[in-house]
Amino acid sequence: MTIRPDNRLLDAPMQPVTCRRCGAGVEVRKASWHQTSVQWNADAAGTCQERRAAGPGVFPGCAALRDSIVQAALDGEIAVPEES
Amino acid sequence: MTAVEAGNDDIRRIEAEAVPTRFARGWHCLGLSEKFKDGKPHTVNAFGQKLVVFQSGDGRINVLDAYCRHMGGDLSQGTIKGDEIACPFHDWRWGGDGRCKKIPYSRRVPLRARTAAWTTMDQDGLLFVWNDPEGNPPPPEVTIPRIEGATRDDWTDWVWTETIVNTNCREVVDNVVDMAHFFYVHYSFPTYFKNIFEGHVATQIMKGTGRQDTRPPAKDGEPRLLGNDSVASYHGPSFMIDDLTYHYDTMDINSVLINAHYPIDANSFVLHSGIIVQRTDKLSGPAADEMARKMSSFILKGFDQDVQIWKNKARIDNPLLCEEDGPVYQLRRWYEQFYVDVADVRPEMVERFEFELDTARPVEAWKKEVEENLARKAAELSASTGRPA
Repeated sequence: MTIRPDNRLLDAPMQPVTCRRCGAGVEVRKASWHQTSVQWNADAAGTCQERRAAGPGVFPGCAALRDSIVQAALDGEIAVPEES
Repeated sequence: MTAVEAGNDDIRRIEAEAVPTRFARGWHCLGLSEKFKDGKPHTVNAFGQKLVVFQSGDGRINVLDAYCRHMGGDLSQGTIKGDEIACPFHDWRWGGDGRCKKIPYSRRVPLRARTAAWTTMDQDGLLFVWNDPEGNPPPPEVTIPRIEGATRDDWTDWVWTETIVNTNCREVVDNVVDMAHFFYVHYSFPTYFKNIFEGHVATQIMKGTGRQDTRPPAKDGEPRLLGNDSVASYHGPSFMIDDLTYHYDTMDINSVLINAHYPIDANSFVLHSGIIVQRTDKLSGPAADEMARKMSSFILKGFDQDVQIWKNKARIDNPLLCEEDGPVYQLRRWYEQFYVDVADVRPEMVERFEFELDTARPVEAWKKEVEENLARKAAELSASTGRPA
């Protein structure tokens, strides 16, 4: 089966964000202040300190990366659509 | 009001490729293992084939292609003799490893007397079978995790159900990301929703609140449902473990819900639900068993609601998503890893992806809808009784 792109990415693509703690690079998209997609790659997973320290089971997410994404949004490095 | 995008007036076409002809690589649950331990062979239609499931004398549960390589007899209509399944046609004896061990009327077994055998796993009271179109053994890192409560005395036994559904099994997997359908189809009320895909695991984290318009209010003295917390993960293509807690005003109820399936063929699958509930001081003895049964029938109702949608809907490869929908495309990208050879699994199918949904708008809209439903019900009641509500 063909893997198709998300129609929502056509209007607003993922944008790079670097974690301010460890330097892990991920791609981020914010559809609003409270809606966030984060695409990791193998390098990022290997770099992220919280990811490496996590035990087995579902890793809920990295707090430092979350803070970095919030800061990137506040600094205007990644786009956040205005609330309508 | 929803803002309507102006501009492109082209009609959007629904696109769908043919359903895949191969079946997913991974562990599939065939149900409670107890069912297969009655000394008889069982017929299971799965992965486009007919299989025989039988427990050999050594206690192991085995899965073979049901058709005898001699003259095509159906082994699942045969008899278990010691460690082997005997064909009803000419009594050829097949071992769990797929090899013919004996032909009682012949001096020796011919060469190449080997049939297809599936690797099985009997764990936590459940029977699993490993399907791999490439024929490789299951890697240890994709094994199904243990379910602690399943073997503990302070949890109930499994309450298990099986339902045949006549559509391709991608529909059930899509539910992992489909927050809004939980409100419209299942009458629940999600307030928090997040997905995480990584490796062979796809997770849905959901919180919900009680919904007054679709369930009768708690009677005096009955515990009142406040909400629920759920962390549900697919471990591979077909087996989901949901750690589900219901919050009541007087107690929490911890449960583990299984949502699993195996394909019969490209256009049908068997959908399983299983539930165990933790016994506590406030939910002890038969009350816990009753709660597990109640929850099981509630889940079955949910499956019926899904089936009503599935049997009438179109298969769609290009869903048109709004921002308040979950990551359908990324889920399907993850799901695709099970349908290609291991050598063709691309990094983007298994790399970690997180999606946290902004529920502000859905919650606002749904609150309003619940209030309207309650007001209408009250008006209808007062009209029918002639008394003000």
